[in-house]
Amino acid sequence: MKSMFTCKETCLLDKKNKCLYNKHMFELCDYSLNQKLEILADAAKYDVACTSSGVDRKGKKGFLGNARACGICHSFAADGRCISLLKILMTNHCIYDCKYCINRKSNDVPRATFTPKEICELVIEFYKRNYIEGLFLSSGVINNPAYTMERICETLLLLRTQYKFNGYIHVKSIPGAPEELLATAGYLADRISINMELPTEESLKKLAPNKSFETIMTPMGLVSDTIATHRLAIGKSARMERSNGNKYLNNSIFSNNNLKMEMKNEQLSLSDTMNTVISNGSSADKLLPNTRDKYHLKRAFAPAGQSTQMIIGATDETDFHLIQTTQKLYQTYDLKRVFYSAYIPINEDSALPSLDTAPPLLREHRLYQADWLLRFYGFQAKELLSEDRPNFNEKIDPKCDWALRHLEMFPVEVQTASYEVLLRIPGIGPKSAARIVSARRYGTLTFEHLKKIGVVLKRAHYFLTCSGKMMYHIPIEEKYILNQLITLNRSDNWQVAHQNQNRQMSLFSDFNLGGASG
Amino acid sequence: MIVFTCENDFEAIMTCIYHAWEWAIKNGHDNMRLEREPILQGTLFDEYIHVEADSIKAEKVVRAIRNKISDESYIRVYYACLAEEDLLDSIYRYLRIGFRVGEKVNHMLTEDSVMRLLEARRKVGNESHFFREFMRFSSIDGKVYIAHFEPKCNVAHLVSRHFEDRMPSEHWMIIDDVRKIAVIHPKEEEVYIRRLTDDEFEQLNHSEECEDEYTTLWKSFFEHITIKERTNYKCQRNLMPLWMRKHVVEFKE
Repeated sequence: MKSMFTCKETCLLDKKNKCLYNKHMFELCDYSLNQKLEILADAAKYDVACTSSGVDRKGKKGFLGNARACGICHSFAADGRCISLLKILMTNHCIYDCKYCINRKSNDVPRATFTPKEICELVIEFYKRNYIEGLFLSSGVINNPAYTMERICETLLLLRTQYKFNGYIHVKSIPGAPEELLATAGYLADRISINMELPTEESLKKLAPNKSFETIMTPMGLVSDTIATHRLAIGKSARMERSNGNKYLNNSIFSNNNLKMEMKNEQLSLSDTMNTVISNGSSADKLLPNTRDKYHLKRAFAPAGQSTQMIIGATDETDFHLIQTTQKLYQTYDLKRVFYSAYIPINEDSALPSLDTAPPLLREHRLYQADWLLRFYGFQAKELLSEDRPNFNEKIDPKCDWALRHLEMFPVEVQTASYEVLLRIPGIGPKSAARIVSARRYGTLTFEHLKKIGVVLKRAHYFLTCSGKMMYHIPIEEKYILNQLITLNRSDNWQVAHQNQNRQMSLFSDFNLGGASG
Repeated sequence: MIVFTCENDFEAIMTCIYHAWEWAIKNGHDNMRLEREPILQGTLFDEYIHVEADSIKAEKVVRAIRNKISDESYIRVYYACLAEEDLLDSIYRYLRIGFRVGEKVNHMLTEDSVMRLLEARRKVGNESHFFREFMRFSSIDGKVYIAHFEPKCNVAHLVSRHFEDRMPSEHWMIIDDVRKIAVIHPKEEEVYIRRLTDDEFEQLNHSEECEDEYTTLWKSFFEHITIKERTNYKCQRNLMPLWMRKHVVEFKE
């Protein structure tokens, strides 16, 4: 596969900043800038990631922009999703025919292409008005992956050098693009991502016939190795920083023991790969080219790490499969984030769910909750789900679900429980757990204090005691607590699942009163 | 009971604490409290003492907090001074504990005053973060960028520090419409804060009326990035409350 794209010298480096669009493309570009923006924003909106987090960078005189590790959202669209970056496609022309995608070759949609200069000016002017935090650049595939990736790199280079932009850039890598271009993109951008789209080889074959697992996973591995090498070279640890709380957790997916085990299973030990890299000068070594010195950019390689995205509901993978894949991606590829996107039927195809399928929003919500449990709460995929119970309970969240299956651990005494145990109580998060741990050294905590500290008592009170007493006199039985929690969650769940439907409530179907009549 | 009062201004608050402390050393901490002006209705049996700002005394208090407690405590006290509600008395009670136990005061969340200052720190911090996000600059001639906003807490200075780092080589200005103060940043120089006269304020109020092509482009981007199938106005309102949208261009008709 790789030999197909053995790129001649990266021509980008020689013909600096020259627009290389061929004639064919210019003919199609007779839209106004506003129309292009509309078409290409519409085409890009199904990409989920719009985060500007993960890197702290100070501003410089003469340049525009800085970056904050916490991330900054600048607006919220009518769908409640944050708008942090100018999320556009460079072009929505595409030679591929992925079944789920709105921009597939066989669709008849208006097509447009931005020139690098147009993109740069939009970014700079929007940024100065504080509309955006940076650029999210993706693209349909024109001519071939290498050509497309080259255009992307050209745009980024123009933005970084000529327009002196120092803000956040998230770039999508095109599957099948040559390594050199991947490297250039990594040095110019803050985060680089490759969409996995579907978690198994079979589904990918079925829905994205032009992509293969190899063209997605190989560059992902390369990028993660290069990030690690680069981090070591500048004196950081090989792996990305994770939430601070993780260092107090022995059993989290990022703890050393679990990582080692995972590496052994995968036969992909990071240090081994790097040893071979250093001795053989293999691929990852090539990803550290001299591009940096040539442009005096002195930039880190993708300092905000790598992310990916999976579509949910277009194929029949289980939640267990998805969450295990997620964990594997965090552990072996050291991804910073994995995003899920509920499948929205836009195309008609025999291989796809029918057009009237509602997007599985509640399922997406549960997966994100589980993703947080992996990254911040020290849970493992196999604790949350198993082969026998492969899908999340729609009625209650994964953490409550886990707690109900482990009632033998509860109730927990707040004054003495470890940080790790506190985190497992539904209604207590990393922040409130840390506050409890520090506050209890100087005084006895009561329920009133817990409430002020930020504990969600309506969920937590079933699982904890203060000075040996529970908040209310309740039985610790699975069935009782389950019913209580379901009642608590019902309206939330309903809202997640029916966000955009205006429908009248029905006494009988919504409140299970159907059987009571007569 | 003695009540020490002062204006709503960091220096005045610090001076007020200085005088209150001086009085309390002789008479004890229990028979006094601190209140922020304006006092709308005084109580019958209390004696009110107004304190004027004094930079030397204020600095002494600041130095004492930083040396004897910690820098983190100083930040908390500073944030509490910017808060919308009157936290003067809580600051005083917090400092009493702080001067007794030192830097571990910040962990003593079971104390009411410590918890209040933590809440204030979060509230002011969050609000300044919101306005880092939702501040909207408009440009009159492509050279000067002006932003208006109406915060609840006095966060203009906190917010401006973010933009100082972000746009060092631009002329820009942030105007707090509630307090009528402006933070002004000339190109490649340091920012300064200025109280606006009514005339200046009136003049600057027109800056938002002119819109350029990029505002229009942004509005159409904003509209087209929405996934119609997922429309969820409630979620949008939770994340971006209506009162913050007042000067945000994409929500203006």
